[in-house]
Amino acid sequence: MILLKLISWPYARKHLLRATLTTVGIVLGVAVFVGIHLANGSVLAAFNRTVDRIAGKAQLQITAGEPGFDEEVLERVQALPEVGVAVPAIEAPVETGLKGQGNLLILGVDMTGDRSLRDYDLEGEGEQEEVVEDPLVFLAQPDSLIVTREFASRNGLRIDSRLSLGTMEGPRQFTVRGIMRSEGLGAAFGGNLAVMDIYAAQKVFGRGRRFDRIDVAAAEGVSIADCRRAIQAALGPGFQIEPPSSRGKQFESLLRVYSMLMNVNSLFALFIGVFLIYNSFAIAVTQRRPEIGILRALGATRGQIRALFLGEGALAGLFGSIAGVLAGIVMARVLAGYTTSVMQGVYGVSESAREIEASPGLIAAALAMGMAASLVGAFLPARNAARVDPVQALQKGKYQVLTAGENRARRIAAALLAAGALTPLLFTRSRPAFYMGYVMMALCALLLTPTLALWLARLFRPLLRWIRPVEGALAADSLLQAPRRTSATVAAVMLSLALVIGLAGLARAGYAAIQEWLDTTLNPDLYVSASSNLVTRSYHFPDSMTSELRALEGVEEIQRVRSSRILFRGGVVMLVSLEMESIARRTPRRRPVAGDLAAMHRLAAQGKAVIISESLAQLQNLRMGDILEVAAPRGLLRLPVAGILRDYSDQQGSIFLDRSVYLRWWNDSSADIFRIYLKPGVRAEDLKARILERFAGQRRLFVLLNHEVREYILRLTDQWFGMSYIQLAVAVLVAVLGIVNTLTVSIADRRRELGILRAVGGLAAQIRGTIWMEALAIGLISLALGLGLGAVNLLYDIEMARRDFAGMTLDYRYPFGMALALVPILLGAAWVSALAPAETAVRGSLTEALEYE
Amino acid sequence: MIRLFSVSRHFNGKRRVTALEDVDLEVARGEMVSIVGPSGSGKSTLLNLIGGLDRPSSGTIHIDGRDLTRLGDDDLTRLRRDKIGFIFQFFNLLPSLNCLENVALPLHLRGWDRRKIALRAAELLEMVNLTDRAGHLPEELSGGERQRVAIARALAFNPPVLLADEPTGNLDSHTGASILALMHDLHDRLDATLLIVTHDPAVAQSCPRTVALRDARLVRDERR
Amino acid sequence: MSNAPRYIRPPRLFLALLLALSAWAQDPRRIVEESQRRTRSGSQMYEGDLQVVDARRRVSQKRWRYRRMGSYGDSKALLRFTAPPDVKGVALLVVNHPDRASDQWMWTPAIGRDRRIALQDRSTRFFGTDFSFEDLEERDVDQFDFTLLGAETIDGALCWKIESRPRKKSQYTSSHLWIRQDNYVPARLDNFIKDEVVRRLFYRQVERIQEIWTARELDMTDLRRNSRTILRLEKVRYNVPLQEEEFTVQALRREQ
Repeated sequence: MILLKLISWPYARKHLLRATLTTVGIVLGVAVFVGIHLANGSVLAAFNRTVDRIAGKAQLQITAGEPGFDEEVLERVQALPEVGVAVPAIEAPVETGLKGQGNLLILGVDMTGDRSLRDYDLEGEGEQEEVVEDPLVFLAQPDSLIVTREFASRNGLRIDSRLSLGTMEGPRQFTVRGIMRSEGLGAAFGGNLAVMDIYAAQKVFGRGRRFDRIDVAAAEGVSIADCRRAIQAALGPGFQIEPPSSRGKQFESLLRVYSMLMNVNSLFALFIGVFLIYNSFAIAVTQRRPEIGILRALGATRGQIRALFLGEGALAGLFGSIAGVLAGIVMARVLAGYTTSVMQGVYGVSESAREIEASPGLIAAALAMGMAASLVGAFLPARNAARVDPVQALQKGKYQVLTAGENRARRIAAALLAAGALTPLLFTRSRPAFYMGYVMMALCALLLTPTLALWLARLFRPLLRWIRPVEGALAADSLLQAPRRTSATVAAVMLSLALVIGLAGLARAGYAAIQEWLDTTLNPDLYVSASSNLVTRSYHFPDSMTSELRALEGVEEIQRVRSSRILFRGGVVMLVSLEMESIARRTPRRRPVAGDLAAMHRLAAQGKAVIISESLAQLQNLRMGDILEVAAPRGLLRLPVAGILRDYSDQQGSIFLDRSVYLRWWNDSSADIFRIYLKPGVRAEDLKARILERFAGQRRLFVLLNHEVREYILRLTDQWFGMSYIQLAVAVLVAVLGIVNTLTVSIADRRRELGILRAVGGLAAQIRGTIWMEALAIGLISLALGLGLGAVNLLYDIEMARRDFAGMTLDYRYPFGMALALVPILLGAAWVSALAPAETAVRGSLTEALEYE
Repeated sequence: MIRLFSVSRHFNGKRRVTALEDVDLEVARGEMVSIVGPSGSGKSTLLNLIGGLDRPSSGTIHIDGRDLTRLGDDDLTRLRRDKIGFIFQFFNLLPSLNCLENVALPLHLRGWDRRKIALRAAELLEMVNLTDRAGHLPEELSGGERQRVAIARALAFNPPVLLADEPTGNLDSHTGASILALMHDLHDRLDATLLIVTHDPAVAQSCPRTVALRDARLVRDERR
Repeated sequence: MSNAPRYIRPPRLFLALLLALSAWAQDPRRIVEESQRRTRSGSQMYEGDLQVVDARRRVSQKRWRYRRMGSYGDSKALLRFTAPPDVKGVALLVVNHPDRASDQWMWTPAIGRDRRIALQDRSTRFFGTDFSFEDLEERDVDQFDFTLLGAETIDGALCWKIESRPRKKSQYTSSHLWIRQDNYVPARLDNFIKDEVVRRLFYRQVERIQEIWTARELDMTDLRRNSRTILRLEKVRYNVPLQEEEFTVQALRREQ
């Protein structure tokens, strides 16, 4: 400990900037780890709180996926002796038309019976004060609304204030007839929640005589399990009867892909952190060799030297982790935004995580992780420091080679790892084996880096020499002479470049796949949607609208689409009902993944089969001919898979069935989107105008032109793949940090050499040149290795996308555009990194550089 | 050729160290001067100042009529390159370059045409009798050979001034003698002004003029 | 009292009557039974005027038309609001069953549909008044234990004071009921939760209408909310001929 204070602290203080930069990787890794877990945790906690608030005292919730179910189910449930209280609910997000307020979640409940389950936290003086001044008026008037106090005060609303909301008939005025206290239910969704009479809500949102949900409390003395069994027995398999908390689990599963990606990023950042630590410590050991020599000469044991450096490593890790935890808490707020937007996508209203609270467990895990990474990075340099020979270290101008003889062993290990990495890719479907293989591939690349970097440096030497005989040759020689100095940096940059290439390749392939899907499948001229985009589904059209649309001039064909999320095998999937026969006619160019396009549509149209998306097939391991069991309100629907198609409308996978089947089993004739094909010669814009005119003031609808939908989807895709640009930024950062570090050491090591150069007539520009060229050489080597490793990484990424993420089968397309763009970007970064070190090289005292005594 | 006027050099650390105090010195073209004195007397500092590797704290230094103290870094480097050749005790060859490349280094830095460089470098190596070692790396050579490479490099542009800092200090006496002989030979042939910092009385005595330093001051200047 | 003989059996023996009367008079259950029996009628109609005065002295007023046919456990009642305008037309149909909880439907013309009121908590307030749904139920004497607490004078009339404790689930722990000794008309009702009175009802303006002693004003105070509801019964008529068809969900929707 005293050594740390006496020896390490002055050094760290002298190289404060470097010491700080060293920990950047750890900070980043820990920050991302903490950030993502906090963000997910907080949003999930907020969501669960919200679910709890909305669920109130409900012990069970009866649902049948998004389509909901008929009203009569309620009476069947209420009639059960095991059921104490059963109240229906409808949930619908609506646009408020108020600036900056976003959506409002409308909870439609039966106010005559609902008080027993939900705590509306009454606004008013006395405890018994009612939320609603006059319940009779509230029920009698369909424009009645109860808002939260928070929402009311934000928007200056009071009792009897008017508020405009989007309804099935277009925007309508509502009247605030009650204000809830901002606790309990009122605190859900940050106050963006309003309560409405359920029957009025049915009307306003075009739900017909259907409920989304029934909240149940068991009768006194009846266990929840017994109550659940009784309801299940009474209603059949088409209904899910779950405690409210299970909604949180479903939401969690939606976040899974995202969390996984972020965890990979966090791991990667830590990996980079290990390299930065390694790099800096290797430098420190080089620079402090005389000091180590003196310590050894004074009687320090090898163990003490090793402990000294490991101690420094642990400290660096600790500081880095602490900074990382703090940064992570900040990051969590940003990431929570994303998680929240996922939630917005699913529930229409977002619950923002107001408090981000780090649990001690998470902090401990993060600190342990950061310190472990730091120690791993410091291990080799510490070992080398312990091996420093005191006699040689004290002689100036002598360079002790500490790492001879490891190359062979390394190469053999690399070969073994390569074999290990390839095997699972080719021969097994096992997930752990696959990821093991991925890690082995990365390790193999790391082990080979020093050797390959050396080869490349040799290869580049003539080139560099040809460009600038002295500066070039010296730059190359600098790399050749101390491969260890550069290989850590090269390895780190290589890894991050490989990641960039992998992601860019994924993006490219994904983009191509989605483009094809757009071209072959999303080809109607117009879409008429009940919601403002194609994702939310809180409003539905009645079937009667079909004929009204058909009557319009210019319409050739209309396809009704009704999609809703349902539970399938414990997960959430999209159930899409289509007019199969018509769809088959209109989308003949689709390339099926499995099955015959015409045959699958024919079978589906006859109600004898379903078609599933490739993602569902991958994620649920489904094959042609497998019988799907889908729980519907009318019972268990069992149909075979007649075809597998690429479809990217839902990440979790989709089941396509014919509208007739949906009608029969779900008893729901509504539609959320009309796909409209035009008669020849009709302009889409004209028809759009006619549709808007026809339904103006009667129906809430949105008409989207084909190109608008395409742009919307491509924009979503862009956002998703925006990740690869973040990765690019990380790669550049890693490159800059690594190269600055490497050059700093290189200049320290080559001080004399540079002095000689200046003594025999090297101009400042020429000295600078040689440093720059060294940086560029490092950049070039990293590029060569990184772009190469990227090709392999992409292979794994595509496998990963297929097996685990989205169930997408993507073609292997190397992102040459990105690779080309990386060359100037990385070389530019290398050059920028060289600027400061080069100046120190030029400025240093010549006599000191050449000094002997 | 070389004229120092009231040159002082201090190092300002925690304690002010005077390396050279008020030195006046004039060396004519073609002279061969040895600089002697005990360790720390300021010999190397004097040589570094004349060679433009260091700058005086006060006073002026003229080489061939140009005032070194008024030159910028790059101009100083150019002057050094054109007018001054350095020979160091530890040779200061670049370990990664072979003999020919080391000799050619200043020529490259000057931006010469490659063919011309090749000819000149070969000529220089021949001058120090190392043609057969052209492709060897410094670590493959003996001490005397390395110093000969360093001398050849110093002569790259036929500089009018040659500065040697303990050129034989790191060599056995036999090799040292042969290097000294080479330097005399070159001095005679090239008509260069030669300043040699040395501990070696034999080296000092072989020079027609000897300047002695003690405690940062010039204490003796004698001609034989 | 022209209709009274239908309900009161003449005593056979004076002594027996005397003995019985003292014993009978002392049995609180009998008193309550007699009180209920005396208000019994085949049907009833009235126009209600409802005033709710809340803790902040704000007054809201509603009017309804009420019709009932049948009695005790078998009755059907229809209540239709006539004022103010924003509740006009809202109607409530209550069908009582002797063996189970009543069925209730509500019609809201503005939404254009009827709904079943799934009343699962009888302590819920009856549409913003100080009556809970439970307060409006018919009380079956078999569901309570009665204790005679003594005699007290309410508004100048001598009353029996009777404590009742519910046998089935109720929001109240107990109630105190005052019944006038002269005509068996209830005068006051205090409802307790634990030891605290939470609701207090006064029966006022007792009039004989068609031989039935009828309290024309019901004055309910919710002591916790400090809110008061006064229901005045106007145009009260008993034993009017009413049709079964008037008490169906279809009728609820049809009639305005």
